[in-house]
Amino acid sequence: MTSNNPAVFLLMVNGQIESADFPEYDDLYCKYCFVYGHDWAPTSGLEEGISQITSKGRLSQSLVWNFPLDITFKSTNPFGWPQIVVSVYGPDTFGNDVVRGYGAVHIPFTPGKHTKTIPMFVPESTSRLQKFTSWLMGRRPEFTDPKVVAQGEGREVTRVRSQGFVTLQFNIVTKDMKKLGYDTTSTEHSPAGLTRASQQL
Amino acid sequence: MAELHIIGQIIGATGFPQNSLFCKWGVHTGGAWRLLSGLREGQTQVDMPQTGDMAYWSHPIDLHYTTKGLQGWPKLHLQVWHQDSFGRCQLYGYGYIHVPSSPGQHRLQCVTWRPLGSWQDQLSEMFVGGGPQLRSPDLIYSGADRYRLHTVGMGTVELELCIILRHFDRYGVES
Repeated sequence: MTSNNPAVFLLMVNGQIESADFPEYDDLYCKYCFVYGHDWAPTSGLEEGISQITSKGRLSQSLVWNFPLDITFKSTNPFGWPQIVVSVYGPDTFGNDVVRGYGAVHIPFTPGKHTKTIPMFVPESTSRLQKFTSWLMGRRPEFTDPKVVAQGEGREVTRVRSQGFVTLQFNIVTKDMKKLGYDTTSTEHSPAGLTRASQQL
Repeated sequence: MAELHIIGQIIGATGFPQNSLFCKWGVHTGGAWRLLSGLREGQTQVDMPQTGDMAYWSHPIDLHYTTKGLQGWPKLHLQVWHQDSFGRCQLYGYGYIHVPSSPGQHRLQCVTWRPLGSWQDQLSEMFVGGGPQLRSPDLIYSGADRYRLHTVGMGTVELELCIILRHFDRYGVES
């Protein structure tokens, strides 16, 4: 484990999908998956998951999942840094499961504890006819593959409506990024800069 | 050669007169910089938020540059557009920010502006919409030829970028 010339660096991600805030919907569950570049590979942990169905409490408006995330990646290159894609589903008035939001965020880059609140959006029909038929049939547009929300290409044709938030918590540990020459922490305002200075002494 | 990674998201925009916004973005660099992988420009989705006045795009950015010199550090330039219910697009703002030079995670706010026409233009804009646009979008990120412009401030665009540097210290560059 203690090699002096590492070829890869590791990114350990612990955390949870804590809760969601959807003012108009209830009884929701979520799915998550990770999207990452070619140089990346997961070494342990689950890449995909599906949560329980949660309802709003009597006292609070937030939908609590408390769903664990636990995965480790290895890579040689930060390009294609992993993103977590979360999609939220819930029943419509007829009891069919429809999507209530898609969202994505990069895994935090610096070691430590991070809380991320990500906006969730659904695609909208582009034509009025489609809007009418989807209202009539009780089906709404969905992405065939939720992973498109983590891609920068081909988004100029989508119209979306953002209608909620999901809160995620991360604890990040990285290994060998410094040894490979990657500098992710600023020396100005982080205690990491102090430890580095003391190491030089 | 030194390497620079720019990874993050264009989160969204706030403070514009109407929602249903999208953003065209691009990165401009000096001649010494070479893009190894990633998309240099793009366009976000159109968001019509259900609640609140912030339009969310969550648009990912992931760029890998190498460089031989520091001149022409990357700049991100943005154009915010409004799309109405008929699909017509109107310019709502131009803006640019320098990509931060210190490594780590940064939450950035980019202010935007748009050109203002003569009072006749403004009057016709009130009734039929539309408005002046820059003929050369280079003006968004250059300060050379701005002095004849009359502009008005618009909303702000929020971004979150993480900067990862590699081998800059090998050349004695302090950041």
